[in-house]
Amino acid sequence: MDTEAKQEEALFYRQIHYIITIPEHFHSDFMDGEKPQLVVKSTNDYEASLAQMQLERYLNAANALRFISESEAELVANMEAVFSETTEVTMTSKLDTAGLNKAAFYYNFVNYALLAGCIYVICLILSSFQQEPVRKRTLISSMNFAKYHRQLLLSNSLLAIALWGFYVLISLILVGDVMFSEYGRAYILNSFVFTLCALALAFLIGNLVTNKNAMNGIINVIALGSSFLCGAFVPMEYMPDFVLRIAHLLPSYWFIHANNLIKGIKTFDSAVYRELLIHMGVVLAFALLFVVLAYLIGRKRRKIA
Amino acid sequence: MFWHNFKYTLKTLARDRMLIFWTFAFPLILGTLFQMAFANIESSEEFSPITIAIVENDAWKQRTVWNEAFTKLSEEGSDEQLFHTRYTSEEEAKELLETDEISGYLMMKDTPQVVVDASGINETIFKHVCEELIQSETLTDMIVEKQTAKWMANPDQMINDPAWQTRLYEEVNEILQAETTMVQDASPTKMSYTMIEFYTLIAMTCLYGGVLAMVAMNRNLADMSDSGKRVAVSPASKGSLVLSSISAAYVVQLLGLTLLFSFTCFVLHVDYGENFIGLLGLAVVGSLAGLALGICVAALCKRNEATKTGILISITMLGSFLSGMMGITMKYIVDTNFSWLNRLNPAAMIIVRLTRYWIRKRNRKKLCFIVRFTIS
Repeated sequence: MDTEAKQEEALFYRQIHYIITIPEHFHSDFMDGEKPQLVVKSTNDYEASLAQMQLERYLNAANALRFISESEAELVANMEAVFSETTEVTMTSKLDTAGLNKAAFYYNFVNYALLAGCIYVICLILSSFQQEPVRKRTLISSMNFAKYHRQLLLSNSLLAIALWGFYVLISLILVGDVMFSEYGRAYILNSFVFTLCALALAFLIGNLVTNKNAMNGIINVIALGSSFLCGAFVPMEYMPDFVLRIAHLLPSYWFIHANNLIKGIKTFDSAVYRELLIHMGVVLAFALLFVVLAYLIGRKRRKIA
Repeated sequence: MFWHNFKYTLKTLARDRMLIFWTFAFPLILGTLFQMAFANIESSEEFSPITIAIVENDAWKQRTVWNEAFTKLSEEGSDEQLFHTRYTSEEEAKELLETDEISGYLMMKDTPQVVVDASGINETIFKHVCEELIQSETLTDMIVEKQTAKWMANPDQMINDPAWQTRLYEEVNEILQAETTMVQDASPTKMSYTMIEFYTLIAMTCLYGGVLAMVAMNRNLADMSDSGKRVAVSPASKGSLVLSSISAAYVVQLLGLTLLFSFTCFVLHVDYGENFIGLLGLAVVGSLAGLALGICVAALCKRNEATKTGILISITMLGSFLSGMMGITMKYIVDTNFSWLNRLNPAAMIIVRLTRYWIRKRNRKKLCFIVRFTIS
């Protein structure tokens, strides 16, 4: 980090948490028993406090050992002796925490991509079917409405699934190893269930909104809104409780919550599966609700004045 | 002619519901969402005690220094509290760790042993404290040994001074507590990075002005609207018509910005810092960049209005994304790895400038860029 502005920017963006500036002649001043000052800049968060603690521990030891060491070489040897004492740490789980975090982060972000993508593409397609001449032609045909509605939903599901496949493929490349384990399968399954829900929601909106210009607005409000409220961009543990309580009413919450659950799984036992299934069940229930609503609205709108 | 066209463009823009949504309502909705999502993020950075367990075996009971240290660090409500400590048996500690009720546990054997199941920040702090205890034990031992050797080297003095042990103890304490190298904290005071979210919001609103300019421009383009055809055959000066259309769009956009600033200041209570006037000025200039973008798309792209809107909104959203709207890390990643990308991104430029106001470092280059972008 060459300039002060760059340093402060890196601190601001929390890419660096602690900067220590060692003044000139620090070494000789310290050895002479003067008390030279170190200048630090910190973000005042966990990481910075840890760095601060480590720095202070080091300085305290160096200072005390300076009194009993006769030469610099002895001081260095004594320091090494003190700092070679470490605690034995046992890790009970063999989880690839970093990989799992990455996967959860990716799939939480997919919430936005899937919602925005599905709603945009499907609304665009449905809007061509909503054009008055096309609608009139469909309505006077012999095909019954339920069948027409079902076919439209199924053909759109192909697109949604293609979109999902694309995001899964990218996750295989970006996240790597974790995606080929049991965890990866859980993430993929969970996102598939959510894709169905996004499809249903898109289908509902496509049936509700016929104005292409209004569509853009609705896509952004729904996709960004549920992503912000349900913790797709900001980790859930940092969000205020009342926001999370509201978020329970949105399918994204259950999808993202399940992603976060998968991240913390230690063993895949029946209790874990049950919990995941409950989450996916809620998402599917939302999907069902959207499909039924879309059907009812579509049927009601058959009359053209 | 200028004022006539200005008046009617204003009326047309004000009656377009889609435009009103993008310039007035959407930024307010997003601002509210930001406020809800980010309200806690910085306070959650502050420290809260870590729950741990200690296996209460015989080896533990013998280590008085450790006992005292952990009692002190677990004192409820004290400033120095680092831990919530539970004293348990080994089985119980394992179970607590399994169910995630504790971050880790300490088991004293010949050497202390820390058992954790993840490598998060809590686990690191726990390990750090244990390490510090061992190391300070070693440090104390070394000093005691050295000082004792000093006394031993001079047996006469020991015999003459009956309180030599107390003196030795005092000496060791003196060394351990000697004033150490000072660490001077020069941390920048303004570190609130949720501000960036609101800056992206301002930048986005500035660029959404492009949609206004585009609609206003379309009124003058013969291939876009009937009024455009009328304009094309009229003898009125085209320059004056275009200028008045754009001025009307600019007025509407400034109204949108005023609404956004009032909403964020008075309803969401966002603190924009000391340089509020500079910030307003930048938003006013930044809006011109948005207008320029809209004019550019309107003139270059020969498609219908919906496509043009789509293009403008995509550019704006992409720009906002790259400049950190969906997580500020994105801006830093782009800045450090593909700096050219954000130099081409007016949203990022506006934000950089705003951030500089926030960290209070002036940088005229960025303002020049926004002006240049507008002109070109």
